[in-house]
Amino acid sequence: MNMEAASSTPLKVALVEDDAAFQQAFRNALAAAPDLAMVGVAATVAEARAMLGEAPCDVLVVDLGLPDGSGVDIIGEAHIRWPGCAIMVATTFADERHVIASIEAGASGYLLKDSPLPTIAEDIRVLHAGGSPISPRIARQVLMRFRPDEKPAEEGAVDAEAAEKSGIPSLSEREKETLQLITRGFSFEEIAELMGVSRNTVLTFVRRIYAKLEVRSKTEAVFEARAYGLL
Amino acid sequence: MASSRLALTQRRWFPWVAWVLAGLVALSVAFVVESRSGGHRLTAARMTTIDTTGYQLPPAVSPESLRTSGQAVTMPHAPPPLFAPTTETSPQKIATRVTWYSLSVPPLPNDGRQLYLYIPRWKSDGSLAIYADGQLIHQSHANLQWNGSNEPLLIKVPRTDVSQPPRTLDVRMQHVRGIGGAFSSVWIGTYRQLAPRYTIREILQVQLTSFSSFAFLATGVFAFFVWLSRRNEPIYLLYFLTSAVVFVRMLHTFVGMHPLIISDAWFGWLTVVSPYWMVMVLHLFMAELHGKRQPLLTGAALLVSVVTTIATLPGLIDPTLMSAPVYASLLVLGVFVAFNSVRQSVRFKSRDAMLLSVWCLITVVSGIYDLGLQQNLISIESVFVSNFTGVGFTLLFWYIMFGRYIEALETATQAKADLARRLAQREAELTASHAKLREIERRELLHQERQRLMQDMHDGLGSTLVGALRAFEGGKAAELDTVGILRGCIDDLKLTIDSMEPVETDLLLLLATLRFRLQPRLEAAGVKLVWDAGEVPPLEWLDQRHALHILRILQEAIANVLKHSGAKTLTVSVRAEGDQVLVRVQDDGRGFEPAGLLPSGALSSGGRGLANQLSRAEAIGGAIRWEETQRGSSLALALPVSKSRRAVP
Repeated sequence: MNMEAASSTPLKVALVEDDAAFQQAFRNALAAAPDLAMVGVAATVAEARAMLGEAPCDVLVVDLGLPDGSGVDIIGEAHIRWPGCAIMVATTFADERHVIASIEAGASGYLLKDSPLPTIAEDIRVLHAGGSPISPRIARQVLMRFRPDEKPAEEGAVDAEAAEKSGIPSLSEREKETLQLITRGFSFEEIAELMGVSRNTVLTFVRRIYAKLEVRSKTEAVFEARAYGLL
Repeated sequence: MASSRLALTQRRWFPWVAWVLAGLVALSVAFVVESRSGGHRLTAARMTTIDTTGYQLPPAVSPESLRTSGQAVTMPHAPPPLFAPTTETSPQKIATRVTWYSLSVPPLPNDGRQLYLYIPRWKSDGSLAIYADGQLIHQSHANLQWNGSNEPLLIKVPRTDVSQPPRTLDVRMQHVRGIGGAFSSVWIGTYRQLAPRYTIREILQVQLTSFSSFAFLATGVFAFFVWLSRRNEPIYLLYFLTSAVVFVRMLHTFVGMHPLIISDAWFGWLTVVSPYWMVMVLHLFMAELHGKRQPLLTGAALLVSVVTTIATLPGLIDPTLMSAPVYASLLVLGVFVAFNSVRQSVRFKSRDAMLLSVWCLITVVSGIYDLGLQQNLISIESVFVSNFTGVGFTLLFWYIMFGRYIEALETATQAKADLARRLAQREAELTASHAKLREIERRELLHQERQRLMQDMHDGLGSTLVGALRAFEGGKAAELDTVGILRGCIDDLKLTIDSMEPVETDLLLLLATLRFRLQPRLEAAGVKLVWDAGEVPPLEWLDQRHALHILRILQEAIANVLKHSGAKTLTVSVRAEGDQVLVRVQDDGRGFEPAGLLPSGALSSGGRGLANQLSRAEAIGGAIRWEETQRGSSLALALPVSKSRRAVP
């Protein structure tokens, strides 16, 4: 990481946050990291939209509770307008409802607001490098979302096939195993050891799971809209 | 058009009108057929009577003298019978009479066609022989008394060189002196001419009663089987008994052309006695219909019936010979019972009983007519009307049973609908009460949840913040680890939030959450965490309240390790052991003596923490054990797999 940081230009990081205290803490965290550069700050949905019209950055950190709307909308728009940008949701509690909504909108990780400043910088680096954090509760929630509704095995298989065709992705066995180990409290290192893979592979699994969650939610939205005659 | 026809068939009176119309059509067809048939009717005859004793065989050839002797009579002819002719019952000694009727036949064309004699009715109470041109051509061969005299005769006239066509017909009847000896007019003609007359009379007089008796008996047997499975409804048994008695009574109208298997005496007894029992069972049946039993009347009717039945037993009074007084007494009983029943039906408003009792009255009236016919007071070519009222009884009984059947079906349908309605109502009530219960449960749960959070805030976050506040106020802020306190508060808050999400019996998920929350602090403290999560069965009692207790106990344990032990490694292991789950927090630090801290150090924060851990473990049915190990100390939290058991330390 340090080598990469030294050899390349610093990562361009933008923040959408209305809380001045956290803004300051975030600035401080980035100021202490030479490989990270703060390129933009927005305090409202409107400001954030304006910022999205500018040149894309590498990492965007979004708080959900903005004075003029929800950060989830910004995440969704950023995912479309800045396709190469890694989006993080800033959260105090990493509660699954907010985090999952953000991931479904296109975020690929979350940032705990009470983390020590060096941890914040490190989390940004990890996210940009392809790693995503995941809490046991989020893992469980994701597992439940992808679990085929209680159906007989054969029918379930047919269902999975149909889902495949319809564009709704399903989790691979290894991805499921990863999630299950996370719900049992194991860290990425421990999981890598248990599954006999590298820590990076585990990180990739999580990132892929998040991507599938996003696709799944979009496809489902289309399905539902069709079912209700909206499309 | 179609709808109006449908409406017509649904009117109540429609079936009755249809029946009456059908009957009228049948009658008019009969009349038309009768009026279009031909043949010669012979009514002029000469009658000769000779008194005899016992029965003799008829001669092979009729005496020539008959054509001139005796008196001229007009057929049908019936001598007035004696009311009580004789008490002698032995056929050998009985006073008998031979009555000859001699009829001359008008010249008929000899076209070679078969000629028939049609005799609508004859009454002999003895034997009958018929001669054509003096030659015997027909003779009764059955019993003397019950000899099928109700049945019309259609006799082939033999085609011989002596008689074709015959010029004279002689009828010889040997019968009990005082009764019998009556003969109707005689028809002669071809089959085509006579068959319609004969057939119509045969149907009316014989087959109609025969069919209806058998049909009534068949439904009676059905009713009997109904009664066998429904013993508390005697009406079905009475239906069967009525049908059986009517069948016995009607036997004489269609048997007797051939020798009977029982003697005249017994058959006569059955025939004469059965109407008494008919009156008896009808009385009981109508009582069932209008619902009011009359033990006195029933007893009286029973007495009369039993006395008559016994008195007319063969060997005592011959009922066949004494039928006139016997039938007269029957009529009295019948009138009495019928009138009583009409009165009762009006009183108790029973339509069915009314129908039956009115029909009984009609039958009594027809019985008077039949008595007149039996006593030769009415032309013997007439028919016994009570045979038809017997058919009427069959139809009435069917009608009544049909009504009961339809009513039962409707009741069943009604009951089903009623049941469905009540079920729906009950279901609605249950749903409502269930919803109410759930609402109460929900409120209770909310209340509990609030209590839990209040308690938790009060003990944890609240007291920590108040403590910090007092320290700041006292100017001792410098002595405080402010960041540590705030981080502790945030951790507390996070665990509280975690405890609000359901874990659904998954202890490992709960522990994983704890690790996820505390990992940064462990890392900051430079303590290595060894996570040893084994397989754990689901704990069905693990709800939010229990979850928070477990989180707090372990949080406290880990906090203690971080604060006091100076450990480098912290091991958290989860194992299922028997019927409990053991969560062990082990460190390699200095170790401490919780037992010593507890009583004396209750005021210190550590002491309070331990007391808290104990009471929390108590609250969730678990147990805590502290152990000193070779290196460091260990806390073991034992949780029961099933709530019904308590864990042991």
